[in-house]
Amino acid sequence: MVSVVISFSRITILAFIIVFTIIDLIQLFEFKLSEAVASVLSTIQVVMLVLFIVNTSGILYLVNQDYKIIMLLIFQLTLFGLIGIVLNKLTILPSKGLVNNVLLFLSLSFVFLERLSMTRAVRQLIFSMISILIAALVVFILRQIRYIERYMYWFAGIGILLLLIVRFVGVVEYGAKLSISIGSISIQPSEFVKLSYLFFISGCIVTYRDIRGFIFASIGGAAHVLVLVFSKDLGTALIFLSTYLLLIFIAYKNYVVLVLELLVATFGGLLAYNLFPHIQNRFIAWSDPLSVVDDKGYQISQSLFAIGTGGWFGSGFTKGSPLKIPVVTKDFIFAAISEELGAIVAVCLIICLMCTCVYIFNIAFQCNDSFYMLVTSGIAVVFSVQTILNIGGVIKFIPSTGVTLPFISYGGSSLLSMFICVVIAECSDDLFYIPKDRRYD
Amino acid sequence: MTRNKNSRKTIRREIYVVAVLFAFIFVGMIAYFCYYVQVGSRDFIYNSYNSRFSVFADDVTRGTIYTSDGHVIAKTVLDEERNETRSYPDERLFSHAVGYVGKGMSGLEAEYSFDLLKSHISLSEQINNNLTGQKSPGDSLYTTFDYDTQMAAYEGLGMFDGAVIAIEPSTGKIIAMVSKPDYDPNTIALYWDDINDESKNNSVLLNRAIAGAYPPGSTFKIITTIAYLRSNDGNSDYSYNCKGSIDIGDYTIHCSSNKSHGQEDLLKAFSNSCNSAYADIGINLDRDIFIDTAEELLFNQQLPTALSSTKKSKFTIDASSTDSLVGQTAIGQGDTTVSPLHMCMIVSAIANDGVLMEPYMADKIVSLDGDIINQTKATSYGQIMSENEASLLQEYMEAVVMDGTADSVDFGDLTVYGKTGTAEYTSNKSITHSWFVGYAQNEYGEQLAVAVIMEGAGYGSKYAAPLAAKVFNAYFK
Repeated sequence: MVSVVISFSRITILAFIIVFTIIDLIQLFEFKLSEAVASVLSTIQVVMLVLFIVNTSGILYLVNQDYKIIMLLIFQLTLFGLIGIVLNKLTILPSKGLVNNVLLFLSLSFVFLERLSMTRAVRQLIFSMISILIAALVVFILRQIRYIERYMYWFAGIGILLLLIVRFVGVVEYGAKLSISIGSISIQPSEFVKLSYLFFISGCIVTYRDIRGFIFASIGGAAHVLVLVFSKDLGTALIFLSTYLLLIFIAYKNYVVLVLELLVATFGGLLAYNLFPHIQNRFIAWSDPLSVVDDKGYQISQSLFAIGTGGWFGSGFTKGSPLKIPVVTKDFIFAAISEELGAIVAVCLIICLMCTCVYIFNIAFQCNDSFYMLVTSGIAVVFSVQTILNIGGVIKFIPSTGVTLPFISYGGSSLLSMFICVVIAECSDDLFYIPKDRRYD
Repeated sequence: MTRNKNSRKTIRREIYVVAVLFAFIFVGMIAYFCYYVQVGSRDFIYNSYNSRFSVFADDVTRGTIYTSDGHVIAKTVLDEERNETRSYPDERLFSHAVGYVGKGMSGLEAEYSFDLLKSHISLSEQINNNLTGQKSPGDSLYTTFDYDTQMAAYEGLGMFDGAVIAIEPSTGKIIAMVSKPDYDPNTIALYWDDINDESKNNSVLLNRAIAGAYPPGSTFKIITTIAYLRSNDGNSDYSYNCKGSIDIGDYTIHCSSNKSHGQEDLLKAFSNSCNSAYADIGINLDRDIFIDTAEELLFNQQLPTALSSTKKSKFTIDASSTDSLVGQTAIGQGDTTVSPLHMCMIVSAIANDGVLMEPYMADKIVSLDGDIINQTKATSYGQIMSENEASLLQEYMEAVVMDGTADSVDFGDLTVYGKTGTAEYTSNKSITHSWFVGYAQNEYGEQLAVAVIMEGAGYGSKYAAPLAAKVFNAYFK
């Protein structure tokens, strides 16, 4: 009986996700939808989302017979309501497409963590609740500060300091130093440094608006990237590097500088490749994972087995064996999704992630304030690069770099920093300081 | 005031440039992902490290494997308690060709495990089976083997160790493949320890047809002939006066039985399999041309075929090799080794006017309702020798059978083109492997290429060639 439900759910889940994705694409290509139509589409998306999470939770309940799943479902729906309320309080016209996508990613994260590791699912839910509140608090504080860009050197200093702390007292995980442990909690400071870094680069550019901004941003950016490279945190270093490059490009509109800097970055990359065997190993595992399947290629091979065996329609939710993939709840959760829900759902997920990136770029484009325009562009770049590095690594499009998939991978630091990013993006047009007597509320 | 209301218009274009750039990367990634799921994964997931097959086996009964003419090679049978066993009705006949399921998997059973455990019955039936707790029947695999040809090869090899492989030159289909010593796949789990006992050193699991490494003996003269043609711009003029042996430094190469063949041209030297003449050709060859020819004929390379665990053939002449070694290499002794599959591929390219078709043995996957799910297309590897070279060798190989070393063999009504070989493999020159490589053509122009090796049997013309005759006749009857 249960397996019939699972077989049948393959079709229903597929339908929910496809409808959701099509609406995403409509919103992407039809910018000037009338408000009524946009609102109807957005409501359909929410309905699809709720149907998806109810359907998958239902399967999990049938398989595990665990009342906790029903409890979690209720809490998840409450969380979604909470996110909606918080955003509506913070800003007048939130981008509904963006919020819906974030909710889709969270739903996927919750149901897959429940399926893979119940304790992690509970923790992820608690993290999300806390994160949305902290994000709201951050936005509230930002709104009270008159010239936030003037604190740019503080942002750079704190960021580099945090990265150095990780470099020297960090815990080594999978060949790279990524996190520090305080008691039983492990924190990845680089996730938060992403934010301070964005504020620093944007601050430099906006404050000086000439060659000085470029020079200071370059020095600070190089310092961040170098510390990360020496911590062997290749993925984050790449995110920081591309964010710097593209923000400079957006602000200074200079193709020559972009090309020159790309050349320097390529040279640096080659140098790093020759210096660190850690990086060479990743390339070997990428070019021919089966030749080192016992060792370095094990994870990527298992990931590709999972995706290939699942095929277009997947093995059915709970019917696959994603737990064979090491660290599946963090970096390789995309492979688990593709194995059990099928490659079509996985492609839809990539499209939704792409739409999310474009939505954030679009918000940046509409932004009235040049500082937050740059910060939001930076957020879009971080989100895009991180997604491409993660999924590209999982499907062997590029070598694996060990970064998380925004909102979907398990991990409190990543979740909190992504929540703050998205809330800042949503509110970017209202964020700049308005003197008390001119506020309209 | 550092804020600037106009900045939006001046900055807007670059944001879109960046957004479009990322969109392109995403689209590229989606394309790569789809390609992997549809095409790339087919190769990748056939791997013993992929333990997910066991999950399918819970819902699907493993499919049946057939020969091309519909004989069952392997099927899954259920006993009264619905326990499954894999059964091989012909026992040892297809042991190396098809492999086994039991203690792990091997051969086609392993490579096509994924397809055999997939079921293409309709969704309603699938749901019905799920409801009633029945397993769905998996898809079937049709191989390229011909039952009678396989049987002729198997019985012909008899008690000898060795291998027989037969390929259809125009497609690359493997028609028969036998390797001995062999095993019974029905009982492999029972005798597993015995089979893997290193001290017995019988290596029954080794498929000698594709992974054997044998000295080629005189069959290698095919390659030496092509190298000679290439170093003479395609000109086959040659003359040599054979006195039964040739001295190279202080090493002497003898003709078979020390027979002196007298005055010969290239055709005579080939059809008589004259060692002295070929050693003479070898030492006078341009070394680079010799090496290039061997490598173009796929020595020292992975053979172009979907078959797994084939062995690279070895050809180790270089600029510093002594003349005596080159002379021995030219007649197929020395350090050269080949697999029967490789020799059969060279012969099938000769039959196919120089074009090599990549060998394969899995023809198609068929669902229970008879729909073809996946059919292997014949793939050309390309021209490995020129048409002229091929047609000259056709002429020479016909001469071998008409009035050369194999003229005593009765091939029936078929036109046969071949080369015998008698390969020494120890210092005792009286114990030799018996080789025959060649192809036959019937009156309709259909062809079959064969390579036969019988270990320690003696002269190629006495043992291997008559076995090839049986295989040809079984195929064309």
